[in-house]
Amino acid sequence: METAQTSAAERSTTLDSLKTVFVRPERCIGCRQCEFACALEHSESRDPARAPWESPAPRARIHVEAGFTMNSSFPNRCHHCDPAPCEQACPTAAIYRDRELGLVLVEPAKCIACAMCAMVCPFDVITFYPLAANGHARITAVKCDGCRDRVSRGEIPACAEACKVGALVYGELNEILRQERALESRVALAASGAALAELSRAPENVAGWRQWGNEASRMAGGLR
Amino acid sequence: MNRTNSNGKHTIAGDAREMIARAQEENIATVWDRLREQEPQCGYCAMGVSCRNCAMGPCRVDPFGEGPRKGVCGATADTIVARNLGRAIAAGASAHSDHGRDILETFAALAEGKTSGYRITDAEKLKALARERGIATDSRPIEDVARDLAAALFEEFGTRKESLDFLARVPAKRREVWRKLGITPRGIDRENVEMLHRTHMGVDNDYANILLHALRTSLSDGWGGSMIATELSDVMFGTPKPVLSRVNLGTLRADSVNIALHGHNPMLSDVIVQAAQDPELVRMAKEAGAAGINLVGLCCTGNELLMRRGVPMAGNHLMQELAIMTGALEAMVVDYQCIMPSVTEVAKCFHTQVISTFDKARFPGAIHVRFDPERGIETGKEIVRRGIEAFRNRNPQRVRIPAVPVPMMAGFSVEAILGALGGTPQPLVDAIAKGTIRGAVGIVGCNNPKIPQDYGHVALTRRLIENDILVLVTGCAAVANGKAGQMTPEAAEMAGPGLKAVCKSLGIPPVLHVGSCVDNSRILVLAAALANALGVDIDQLPLAGAAPEWYSEKAVSIGAYVVASGIFTVLGVEPPIFGSKKVVELLASGLEGVVGAKFAVEPDPEKAAALIRKHIEAKRAALGLPHIPPETIHAAETRLYAEAAD
Repeated sequence: METAQTSAAERSTTLDSLKTVFVRPERCIGCRQCEFACALEHSESRDPARAPWESPAPRARIHVEAGFTMNSSFPNRCHHCDPAPCEQACPTAAIYRDRELGLVLVEPAKCIACAMCAMVCPFDVITFYPLAANGHARITAVKCDGCRDRVSRGEIPACAEACKVGALVYGELNEILRQERALESRVALAASGAALAELSRAPENVAGWRQWGNEASRMAGGLR
Repeated sequence: MNRTNSNGKHTIAGDAREMIARAQEENIATVWDRLREQEPQCGYCAMGVSCRNCAMGPCRVDPFGEGPRKGVCGATADTIVARNLGRAIAAGASAHSDHGRDILETFAALAEGKTSGYRITDAEKLKALARERGIATDSRPIEDVARDLAAALFEEFGTRKESLDFLARVPAKRREVWRKLGITPRGIDRENVEMLHRTHMGVDNDYANILLHALRTSLSDGWGGSMIATELSDVMFGTPKPVLSRVNLGTLRADSVNIALHGHNPMLSDVIVQAAQDPELVRMAKEAGAAGINLVGLCCTGNELLMRRGVPMAGNHLMQELAIMTGALEAMVVDYQCIMPSVTEVAKCFHTQVISTFDKARFPGAIHVRFDPERGIETGKEIVRRGIEAFRNRNPQRVRIPAVPVPMMAGFSVEAILGALGGTPQPLVDAIAKGTIRGAVGIVGCNNPKIPQDYGHVALTRRLIENDILVLVTGCAAVANGKAGQMTPEAAEMAGPGLKAVCKSLGIPPVLHVGSCVDNSRILVLAAALANALGVDIDQLPLAGAAPEWYSEKAVSIGAYVVASGIFTVLGVEPPIFGSKKVVELLASGLEGVVGAKFAVEPDPEKAAALIRKHIEAKRAALGLPHIPPETIHAAETRLYAEAAD
């Protein structure tokens, strides 16, 4: 079992090729297919026809939230921070870092559902409910596991696979950034609430769709 | 549930605001809460690039162009968007046309003497409709004429004609445009079925060809199904004449049995009006402790009754849940279309009885009293009786009627408008030619919780009448304007000097209520009459259409037939087409060269007003009439909704 004391040196080889799901909020169109794919991946059956009938119903660990204006949205998920505030705050060391893939994971048996992790999470993406994998015994912290099983099999995370508009991109972080050097400033501007159509590199027609959302929201008395 | 106290943004209507506040206090979910729960809404669907027409799919195309660019079958975004829009138009046209057929079936049964509670109210109109079709009317019993007319109108739904009979009303130049494009509507059901056929996988894959048939389908609604609904409703229930009534939730009475008639089809509601006057039922209401029986309208059933019988109007689309929340509504009688399934849920929080009436429109949680034209009046009485029984369950402590009703004038059928003008369109033509009236605009369509309720309708109308543009309204737009006080003869004061003088001399409001949403056919008839009077095509006239707050597939069909008839139309809510640049270009510009009119999308009513004024002045210039240079017209500064509401 890995613990919070894992040293940076031990993980250095992993970090050299850190693979992550990178979020491009200006691409998100709010279809929520990542949520469905995530819930399916974390269901017992992993069968889209049967998963919705499981009890308790499987839940998504990625959360697509509406933006300040109509026709804008943000897929919010764990970014597997390093150091991870949740891991540092966890009094029972239930949250640990997976050495192989650099993922921040929860050991349900150790979790006491104190929610310290959720309090310090910069993205508010830790949730609490009984897990099927934990025998539904009690409520524990549940968060993105980076689709550890899929990635171990050589597949990409379910959310990134489901996203056909490129809002969730899986790859080596520096490589993504190299390809999209200009993106980071846009993301920063979007995060600061200045995300407007002109910041998006969307085709004209998609920009028109976004613009309607901006204008209709403004007309309705400003931001939501 | 994520409820916020943002009801200030939901509506500009005071009665609505008070009821939304009550919903929040009592934790009753409304349409605004459910919209919020749905957000973010799927962008593929909103842009029209998702397709679930076959089981190789469902598919979606990445509107950014990096992900999948074709469905499994190979359909591009252009094909998928056009297919989806075509199907939406077919659904909307089918809704109007099936409504028309229901009216026709009752009319046919009436002609056979098989109905109870129905009569031929406007025999002159019946004869005129018969003469239009070459049916002899002289010295024949009216029932015989009615039978022949019914038979001829049933044929409009069929497949054996080259064109609909009502097309005789269309200016010859316009008919020629349609003939050349191959979009002359032949049969109402035929065009709708063909639209579904074409959008099946592997049939019509050319977006432009699909959209042309979509226009043809919509024309089978405007000049077919809707027109039949309007004309036969006039024959059976009376051709509307100007009538003064009242509007908003204040039309509900704390001391009476309140029954709201909601939906679109006047067939049953008209007999309920008769039933509510039955002395026995009035006595029963008084025995239950009520002062009387008070009928109010909601949505277009309400508009039908307001137009013909002056029945007060409780509200438009987004008022349906809020009307129940007054705690003063004994029964909500629903027929079909635009009735939210949520009304039965809201009704559970009060004593209101939801009564469904059409076998094709059932509502879990409602009681069903089946409409049957053969026992119309008996059905009407049974429904009123149930309302009276529900009055005994009313909790007076729960009654909260939030407003004092506002007067509004309705009843402007084409016949009534021509009547006000002295029998011919000439005075209107003269006023337009001189420039006292710059042009006319039909503002139609629904409410949509994405737009502050009524703001789009009221602000756009106000800006147009201020600029001497006559406004014709139907449906939810009419109710919005009525509530804002823009539909009384006194509202002429709000109009520009030219329109004001015309309204004052005729004693009419600057905003004319022409009826329900099927009654948009009246706008087509009037536009055709103006074009014929001037010897031009409809697209040459200084006219425009607007649907500032539309939501329904029926509205898509209306917008399409208005544009196909040659009238520029501004939509306040984006249609699901943005996923295809080609479709956007065709609808927003290319169509101009094809049918002489196009669409624009503009949520801000100030900017929409400027677009419309520019268009009208450009049309005036082209006709050689005095005009303002369009490039000098600018939108007034956008006012936040909150200022507009004050």
